[in-house]
Amino acid sequence: MNNIKIKSKNLNVYYGNKQALFDVNLDLNEKEVTALIGPSGCGKSTFIRCINRMNDVIDICKVTGNIEMDGMNINDKDLDVVSLRERVGMVFQKPNPFPKSIYDNISYGPKIHGKGETKSELDQIVENSLKKSALWEEVKDRLDEPGTSLSGGQQQRLCIARAISVNPEVILMDEPCSALDPIATAKIEELIDELKKTYTIVIVTHSMAQAVRVSQKTGFFHLGKLIEVGKTEKIFKNPDNKMTQDYITGRFG
Amino acid sequence: MNIVLIFLITIFSISLFFYGKSKTKTISIKDNIKLNALPKFYGYYLVLWCSIPALVFLLVWSLFEPVIIKSIIIETAANQGAIFSDKNEANLIYEKIKAIHLGTYFGDIDSILRESALAYAKFINLFTNSKVVLIFGIIIASVIYSLKKIKNNNKARDDVEVILKGLLFVSSLIAILTTLGIIFSLLFESIKFFSVINVFDYLFGTNWSPQRAFVRDASSITAAEFEELKDAFGFIPLIAGTSFIAFIAMLVAVPIGLFSGIYMAEYASIKVRRISKPIIEILAGIPTVVYGFFAALTVGPFFRQVGENLGLTVSSESALAAGLIMGIMIIPYVSSLSDDVINSVPQSLRDGSYAVGATKSETIKQVVIPAALPGIIGSVLLAVSRAIGETMIVVMAAGLAANLTINPLESTTTITTQIVMILVGDQEFDSPKTQSAFALGLTLFIATLILNYIAQRAVKKYREKYD
Repeated sequence: MNNIKIKSKNLNVYYGNKQALFDVNLDLNEKEVTALIGPSGCGKSTFIRCINRMNDVIDICKVTGNIEMDGMNINDKDLDVVSLRERVGMVFQKPNPFPKSIYDNISYGPKIHGKGETKSELDQIVENSLKKSALWEEVKDRLDEPGTSLSGGQQQRLCIARAISVNPEVILMDEPCSALDPIATAKIEELIDELKKTYTIVIVTHSMAQAVRVSQKTGFFHLGKLIEVGKTEKIFKNPDNKMTQDYITGRFG
Repeated sequence: MNIVLIFLITIFSISLFFYGKSKTKTISIKDNIKLNALPKFYGYYLVLWCSIPALVFLLVWSLFEPVIIKSIIIETAANQGAIFSDKNEANLIYEKIKAIHLGTYFGDIDSILRESALAYAKFINLFTNSKVVLIFGIIIASVIYSLKKIKNNNKARDDVEVILKGLLFVSSLIAILTTLGIIFSLLFESIKFFSVINVFDYLFGTNWSPQRAFVRDASSITAAEFEELKDAFGFIPLIAGTSFIAFIAMLVAVPIGLFSGIYMAEYASIKVRRISKPIIEILAGIPTVVYGFFAALTVGPFFRQVGENLGLTVSSESALAAGLIMGIMIIPYVSSLSDDVINSVPQSLRDGSYAVGATKSETIKQVVIPAALPGIIGSVLLAVSRAIGETMIVVMAAGLAANLTINPLESTTTITTQIVMILVGDQEFDSPKTQSAFALGLTLFIATLILNYIAQRAVKKYREKYD
């Protein structure tokens, strides 16, 4: 059993008057993949956006309760969001490379955090990130082409490389394969398996099969509440809760 | 008379609409047949057939009637012994005859004029009567034709579509032909100008003083006059002044407009945005002449005062005052357009940037602005062509003297201002001075055309970069 990396206690999230999360208590283990499943609008994405404070971008969003990473309170309003996001990277549902070259897409993050002061250091960071995201072989000869010229699956791996480039501890993935075809999906899943040796990964997914394939721990959300959480094997073979049972067998959702 | 006719045609068409609608309804019920179109289409069909042929005929008739009457009257006057040597004198006699007929002529009336005036009255009467008869004939004929068609349950819907398509086509044709007409009139007058003044003297001359060109007839220029004219039409001071003032205007408009656009799109709350955006856009609605006198009466003297206090000589009409006010006028073009393009940059790009730890201003500078750049360039180029074409502010605030200078405190002038100066007041239409206005217009037109082309290319080249 790995150490607990992130711990949420009585986490509530409100969008204006509407409450999106109700008292969520969820622990995420270090160097492990945690999958979050549940029907659309159940709060999975809202939960992971709390971990890197992406909800700050939305004006009407209010977060109460505790969420800690290595004992540090993420929800503290004095916390430096820039250094938090350096430690917690994120990959989005739709690949969103910047309209810049492949090289600039990766070097963007390190430059912002003052890493890679010389050109060769930066080159090294770009190469390492692309290698870790299994994209290096495909793009090493065309690093100055725009990131948007890549295929959808390559774009998503580029976004993963971008997240890796600042050397985070946690990577959040919000349905990273929902816009991809099965072959690209398989590549990303393989990659996630590889990345979990170094990073703590949280993945939101609508695919039960994907959750089973990539994760060690699974949490099931419904209507803003965490219904059940446990080892992936147990959740999918022998869940305690009837609702979880119904969802994974496809009876609703 | 024409107004009465148009009114009658309208009334008649409207009543035919209701007639056609109810008539086809009764036909379909009585004979129990399925109509080929909705009843109202038969109404439209009748309206179009009743009005269009008659109106077209009326238009054509009104265009040609005066010309025909004029030639007939001049001929009768000549037959009665009126003497005129050229076309101008013939026109004069015709105008006299017309004035006698209307009772507004107070000179001596001799027997020739009196006889001709009577003939004129006779012809006017004849033409008006025949016009009314012909129009009613046309209306009756076309209505009978269309009623017959309706009784046969024709495909009125398709016919109405065809006629409407034709109407729309004619409208766009008019727009295009007008543009072509403007271009050609510019072109022909410019060719006349360039037949007197060498194109290169015009394009590369550094002295602009068309007041010197008191030549009555361009075709009879002596060698001495030609030498005099040669360096009176130098284009360089004007294009320099135009670019200089436009440059000052852009120095004001681009930063302020762009920054306010960024603020509106990225920082302002919905409430602030809803109030402040229309306020900025009001700037675009102020008439330029108001800006002009603000620049000439308030800003210009203020600069001179400040300059005097600092020990500088500032002309009360200066390029700085004109450029500054022009820049303020242009701000809404830049801010409103760049606000729109920045807003259309997808949120996902911003999220991607925030997620690696970038702050808001880093995100704007390094991700949002580069992504929105083509649109921003487009808005700036639009503003430039607005600045180049602007006239009123410069006329009032920048002066009229064509100084070739880069001192913003001196007065200078622009292409558009000079066009105004040349064409204001009395002028000889065949003197090179007047014709130079057309050459200036053509040059300005070509310059803005090139600018617009570049703007469109720039936007097209970079569009779809994100997606």
